[in-house]
Amino acid sequence: MLTAWTAGPREMPWKERPEKFMLSTGLPCIYHRDKSSPTTVAGLFAAGGKSAVPMGFDGLAYLTTRLTLEIPDEGKVQDLMSQATRLSLFCSEDSSIVLIECLSENLERALRVGSEIIQDPLITGLRIGRVKEMMKLYGRAETDESPIAGRSAILKAFFGGNGYGTDVYGTEESLRAIDRKDALAYYRRFFTKPNLFFCIVTDFDKEPVRALLEKYFAKFPDGDAAGIAPAPPALPSNREIVLPKDTKQTYISRAFALPAPDAPNQAKGYLLETLLGKGPGSRLWRLRMAEKLAYNVDAHVTWTKSSGILEAYLETENAKSARASEALDGVLASLQDKGITDEELRTTRTMAKAQFLRATEGKAPRMRILGLFEVLGLGYGHLEGLFEAIDDVTLEDMNAYLRAALAPERALKVIIGPAGTGQTQGDR
Amino acid sequence: MVGRNMRSTLTVTAGLLASVVSAALLLAAASENPGKYFVLDNGLRVFLYEKRDLPLLHVVTGFDVGSKDETDETSGLVHLLEHCILFRGTSVRSGAEVSADIRRHGAYFNANTGQDLSLFEISLPAEHAEFALRNQKEILFGLDLSPTELDEEKDILLEEYNQMEDDPQRNAVDLVLQALFPGHPYGRSVYGRREVIRTATAEGVLGFYRKYFVADNCALAIVGDFATADMERLVRDVFGPLTKTGLSPATFPVALPLKKNVVQRFERDVEDGYLFIGFVAPDYNHADQYAMNVLAEVLGRGVNPLLPAQLQRERDSVQAVSMAYLALRFGGAAIVSIKMDPRDMPAIYRTAVGFLKQAHNEAYSKKDFMGEAEMSAFDYLESAKNQIRFAVGRAEESGLQLAGSLARHLLLNTRDKTGRYLDEIGKVDSSDLRKAAARYLGKGKYAAVSIVPRKGGIE
Repeated sequence: MLTAWTAGPREMPWKERPEKFMLSTGLPCIYHRDKSSPTTVAGLFAAGGKSAVPMGFDGLAYLTTRLTLEIPDEGKVQDLMSQATRLSLFCSEDSSIVLIECLSENLERALRVGSEIIQDPLITGLRIGRVKEMMKLYGRAETDESPIAGRSAILKAFFGGNGYGTDVYGTEESLRAIDRKDALAYYRRFFTKPNLFFCIVTDFDKEPVRALLEKYFAKFPDGDAAGIAPAPPALPSNREIVLPKDTKQTYISRAFALPAPDAPNQAKGYLLETLLGKGPGSRLWRLRMAEKLAYNVDAHVTWTKSSGILEAYLETENAKSARASEALDGVLASLQDKGITDEELRTTRTMAKAQFLRATEGKAPRMRILGLFEVLGLGYGHLEGLFEAIDDVTLEDMNAYLRAALAPERALKVIIGPAGTGQTQGDR
Repeated sequence: MVGRNMRSTLTVTAGLLASVVSAALLLAAASENPGKYFVLDNGLRVFLYEKRDLPLLHVVTGFDVGSKDETDETSGLVHLLEHCILFRGTSVRSGAEVSADIRRHGAYFNANTGQDLSLFEISLPAEHAEFALRNQKEILFGLDLSPTELDEEKDILLEEYNQMEDDPQRNAVDLVLQALFPGHPYGRSVYGRREVIRTATAEGVLGFYRKYFVADNCALAIVGDFATADMERLVRDVFGPLTKTGLSPATFPVALPLKKNVVQRFERDVEDGYLFIGFVAPDYNHADQYAMNVLAEVLGRGVNPLLPAQLQRERDSVQAVSMAYLALRFGGAAIVSIKMDPRDMPAIYRTAVGFLKQAHNEAYSKKDFMGEAEMSAFDYLESAKNQIRFAVGRAEESGLQLAGSLARHLLLNTRDKTGRYLDEIGKVDSSDLRKAAARYLGKGKYAAVSIVPRKGGIE
């Protein structure tokens, strides 16, 4: 039976609902059963992330989380490797995530080894030094991709040099400043019961999963909830950032701070992202198809507890960059000034819901979205609730949102390319 | 192909990423859900595969035409056609109307061009199945192109060239493949030649299009939330009226190994150094493909591959190493990519080549050891097989990836009977890996490309 879920009624697209329960060890667990493959992805979310990084200590959250994955015992390393079990991490705006991915038949062994190192990491000067070297390499690689470098510059501009505005992999100076006691303090603060939760997507039934997590992850200590006040974004006085780079294309973006993500605002932000930059027929698409100004156009929202940061960007031939910059401003101004029609809202709703479902089809991205919604305070149920929140956005709501969010005086401009490109006459 | 956010890839990248789970994903899955294969009277091959965990439908339509079918005078036309088909409309609807319809139905819409094939994909809520099929049929078999529209699309395509050349990884893979297959159709860049694009006429493009975009040169793979019998009826209704043309797919000689090493160095405004080393490898239907898949996993993919460990012992600055196996219809390529501090490139290059040349001497399995050594040895072979099982499992979660693999398999497979993919992988032993390493890496010459900041790289 094909359900008309894009147009309502509000029917759950997934066969089973995710659920949340408390482990006897005091850690919450979000669980979603999915039998589409014999694999499991488990994430341990630790509060903090970039938001907990003080000025001058860029990279501290990533470094510390990375240290929890250092396996001292060669035998355990070999055990994991032979089962094709992967341990990895992400450091996000409001959390860091330790990820365990495996064939489900190896889940117990994966959790056993993972639990030993994550609950009792060996944080030594030698290991810290090695991770720092690796982070320098990762940081440098990011500058070779203009959209990544652009996003980093935007966050830095809105949040200054601390918290969300820090470099995830640190800088030469910040990595020099971080020592063992900083890493230990970070670990002891955030890898405690009140600051941790599990999120797991698996073909295994709930009770065996619960039993394994309770068996192997019982050693995290009590502690205090981190209680980090999310820093609000602030538009800098210099609203234009230019990063010179000798490339054939110029990256041009405009960024705006959006309201904090409660359910209605997160839905509106998601609709805006879709409306502007997702796929053929989006507002930015016109710059590609009708005006031939770019090959790549896109929009992206980075969500933090305090706000969403919207980027609308394109990459264009250097010679066209001034025209493309003006055209990008034109698209945003038109949207802000005239808003959208009821038909465009209906289409965008359909597109946004379908896109969300595609983006969460795989277990790993779904696990991260479930966890992200929980971290942002929307709750894991927003996986399903987002559909409802999207349907609840009225035309008046959306147009009022666009008028406020895209006001030109709130725009931050970022240009990456050869000197002088991407600037309109008035910018120079 | 539609931009970085929807980058499915031109080409090579898609092939490389898909290589591990390529073809025989369908065979891996087939044991529990066999799907349904049939051929329409007009020659169109169809595979239907129910995946009913989400209300989505994924349709991939493949054509047996790629850069292999081009000449120096037409190099780039398939890629140009891919763009025109996606965005320039038909005799019924303009490109803008197609885009609006796509969006109204919540569809993701993309295509990619490779050496062998052109693949067009659409993914949308399953309730819009009929729209998906009718839309794809209309745009794929009903292209209408004016000179003005062609000129507009050329401008966008040339933007894509610039983007590719700014991307060191895409650029290097393209250059390695050109160097690896001199004189063979695979030696032409799938991106084509700028001058061919600039001077292409609507008449010339449509002539090329009419030859290759026909039912008997096409395969359709549909994966998603549907009942097979209903979907078969719909497919027959929508695609059945297409005419059979009698086109026989072109055949080409299998690519031969290089006669001498080719080493090229390019400077760009990059921070890191990028080194790509390619060897000619077995083709899609070759019996060695399974050993090559496992070998790529052991050496450069997987959880703890051998090559990165070797290189990181040499220099700390190596930050990413991978090895991919691209199985094509008339040849294949094994490509190692390494990202590093550019100052270390000469040393890393020597170590990597030396290691690959000697890979046939490695012990890959516990069974290669005796007595106590066997107990303590790490079983790279077993680990790689598990890694492939994991990758296949992951691919089964993605309906679009599954449909793409199925469409590729329908067009590339020439074997009458193939075993279940994971069963074939399971049969590979350590000596198979050494034989494959000797045959394709040890004896083979290579093509190496480095992309470096203004100073550095290999000479």
